[in-house]
Amino acid sequence: MSKLVIDRLSKRFSGTVAVADVSVAVGDGELLCLLGPSGCGKSTVLRMVAGFENPSEGRVLIDGEDVVALPPERRPTGMVFQSHALWSHMTVAQNIAFGLRLRGLARAEVKARVGSVLELVGLAGYEARYPAQLSGGQQQRVAIARCVVLEPKILLMDEPFSALDAHLRVRLREEVRAIQQRLGLTTMFVTHDQDEALTLADRIVVMRSGAVEQVGTPGEIYAAPATRFVASFIGTMNLIETEASGGSAGLAGARVGGDLPDGPLTIAVRPEDIALGEPGWTGRIERVLDLGAFRMLDVALDGGPTVKVQAAKGVPLRAGETVPLRPLGLVAYGGDGRARRASIEFGNLTNVVSIHG
Amino acid sequence: MTGGRNRLLAALGLVPGVSLATLLTLFILVPIAAVFLWAFAEAWRYPSLLPTRWGLRYWEVMLARADVWTALSTSIALSLTVTLLSAIICLPAAYAFARMEFPGRSALLLSFLATQAFPKFGLYIAIATIFFSFGLVGTFAGVVLIQLVNTLLLMIWIPVGAFQGVDRRLEEAARDVGASPLRTFFSITLPQAGPAIAAALLLTFVGTFYETEGAFLIGAPHVRTMPVLMISLINNQLVVQYGAVLSVMLWVPSFLALLFARKILSARTIAGGLGA
Amino acid sequence: MALAAPILVEARRFPVGLLLVAAPMLLLVVFVLVPAASAIVSTLTDPRSGGPSLANYRTLLGDPLSRGNLFFTLGSTLAVCGLLLAVCLPVALYLRFSSGRLPAFVQSVAVFPLFVPGIIVAYALIRFLGPNGSLQTVLDAIGIHGFRSPYLTPAGTVIGLVWEGIPLTLLILLSGLAQIPNAAIEAARDVGAGRLAILTGIILPLIANSVTVAFSLAFLGAFGAFTIPYLMGPASPEMMGVFMQRTFSELRDPAQAQTQAVMSFLFCAAVGVIYVRSVIRSRRRGS
Repeated sequence: MSKLVIDRLSKRFSGTVAVADVSVAVGDGELLCLLGPSGCGKSTVLRMVAGFENPSEGRVLIDGEDVVALPPERRPTGMVFQSHALWSHMTVAQNIAFGLRLRGLARAEVKARVGSVLELVGLAGYEARYPAQLSGGQQQRVAIARCVVLEPKILLMDEPFSALDAHLRVRLREEVRAIQQRLGLTTMFVTHDQDEALTLADRIVVMRSGAVEQVGTPGEIYAAPATRFVASFIGTMNLIETEASGGSAGLAGARVGGDLPDGPLTIAVRPEDIALGEPGWTGRIERVLDLGAFRMLDVALDGGPTVKVQAAKGVPLRAGETVPLRPLGLVAYGGDGRARRASIEFGNLTNVVSIHG
Repeated sequence: MTGGRNRLLAALGLVPGVSLATLLTLFILVPIAAVFLWAFAEAWRYPSLLPTRWGLRYWEVMLARADVWTALSTSIALSLTVTLLSAIICLPAAYAFARMEFPGRSALLLSFLATQAFPKFGLYIAIATIFFSFGLVGTFAGVVLIQLVNTLLLMIWIPVGAFQGVDRRLEEAARDVGASPLRTFFSITLPQAGPAIAAALLLTFVGTFYETEGAFLIGAPHVRTMPVLMISLINNQLVVQYGAVLSVMLWVPSFLALLFARKILSARTIAGGLGA
Repeated sequence: MALAAPILVEARRFPVGLLLVAAPMLLLVVFVLVPAASAIVSTLTDPRSGGPSLANYRTLLGDPLSRGNLFFTLGSTLAVCGLLLAVCLPVALYLRFSSGRLPAFVQSVAVFPLFVPGIIVAYALIRFLGPNGSLQTVLDAIGIHGFRSPYLTPAGTVIGLVWEGIPLTLLILLSGLAQIPNAAIEAARDVGAGRLAILTGIILPLIANSVTVAFSLAFLGAFGAFTIPYLMGPASPEMMGVFMQRTFSELRDPAQAQTQAVMSFLFCAAVGVIYVRSVIRSRRRGS
């Protein structure tokens, strides 16, 4: 039953700005993902919430109380580390019990709580093992158990699965989501893996160079990237560079119009948002890549760049063919990288296809 | 508000560092500095804080003594001999330990820890007793042998670490482009492991040069190395400056050499050479 | 053919590896194991009859002076070990958990004795701590009189051995501390551990092996020391190193010297075994 508010948080390390003026709120029971490339400041934000870094400016409020002055050991947060950080000289039970013992709980109570949390993470019966005797996935489960057994108000996870192999990562991701939902834990999760963020989060905060680029649900972020950076970072995206003047720009024979500033312009279209066989552009198929569930084509547009187009399995297509094709949705980004309202026209056909507005 | 608190915390954070730095400097650096002062003092009468007369007179005296030059040449000859023999004996073994498979490999490698697991002087006495019956006490060869034992652990463990640190794939890549095993060793493995091996050689040379106890027990009084000469200066001479001058003379070059060794050999490796 | 080739290589490699390590192994056997074993056997043998005899040990242990030296050595050694850990553990913790120019300076000062040969250490400390030495001069100058020099007292030996032992003890503790990931400490803070709980609950158990190695090397080093106690310690009681040397070289009694050496081995045997075992354990964990 807790709420986390990060208010205008900044962090400077001897001259360089790691985090610049980040504000974000995590609602009760919500799982919020901080997503961004390495070095974007997402882990620093998390570490400031946990208390391992002191912010240069700003506040961290947990249930309305500013915790910036508190050391990590006195904050109601629990953190799961990238490298599990289990204490190698303690057994699984001792690792989990360490925090409970510090709180002066009776022996029987400690034992009962350790038992039930191990049950929760699916490791009942592993009490006496040492971390070195566990697999990577089991170690990370113990690390999660060590955290949630203390019933933290805020659960913090710093790339907890990045050391695991892909298969295990997917499974553990689902387990974590289930545990988080069951306990109703307000959670902040840091990752550089967009799949992880998209499948796990209630909302995503995309960060870059210490600043927030966009906050939104996975659906919003995918469908309507607010900046050119988000468009390039999330999912597969065709980014076509062109030049706007007088409120419009040419694009492989078509005209993009709308609320466009003069200067460089980037048009972003997802491969699945291009319809094959519809009149608009014409292009020559250069390559067909069968990806199992669908096929990915490289299509060289007449008088324009090559774009990726996603096609269904059944359609008979071969490299060298010439096909008509038309974008069903697009976003335009001006020189400042911000999304603009835009539409595209093909001669006599007019289509208003901007997603942003 | 936060800035003021941070500054205060930063100032408080300096307290342990500054006090440790001060105490260690007083305990470790000041005594050595005092030796330097003595070496350049022609007179230093108690209770003056600094030498009452400075000068190089005692340097002239020391440099004119034949026994100093004899001891120096003995020490250099001894260190060169021991380092060379140790390299010939230990380096191929280190390569074998690092790169070859043979039965009992790790147990044999660990057995060199035995040289450290005895109280050293007790072991020297045991060795000296055997040397005594072979007439090796008081001979150059005897001193060489006892020093050689001393160098084993260092000259095997550090190069083993160095050879193991060479990425196998580099060697495989060389073999892949057609280099013979021998060629691979001399063109790839040895240059890669070179710095650490050079440091081990240097440590062995300097360590032997300054080794006092074995040389004193086996060599004295016939074979006199510099440290053994230094013992007699401390024991017999009333003139403080002789010892001070000899210390500075002896120590400065080794200090430079060891600083150089430390550049290519991390502190961790030095500790690792003793099995830590 | 395809099967035969690897077998051939294996068969050829076995003796090559063993051959290469044979030379240092031989040195180890001839100059460590044989002397140690021969000292043990010959001190347990009656020189006239050739039969087993405890006479040498009866002589040694029957002599109050020898007994005194043995326990004096043990006491001094334990004092050196205790002081070394008491000095180096705080320094190592400080170095591990701080960064910047000041810690770098502290570390280089603390490691400095590594570059000063024992004989020069002894000389420098005599000049510094000795009667009318630099320390007394300074104390007199600031008005503190009545300085009693530790030179030629048991304290002199202990101070000298601590001076000499600081770098190695510190480096071993540091390499142990370096293996504790920051996240392990942060995880402890995160679950609510304060400084003391982290030190006793996390750090000390995790570096227990390094502390053991540091302690045993310090113990063996001090017990088997010669130069520092010879030059800085009292004439009586003596450390075993000095006592053995005098027995061997001045009293010309190799049999008694060997008996004293074997007694030293005996006192150090447990520590030597602990040392070897700890090194094996840390190597297994480290690599």
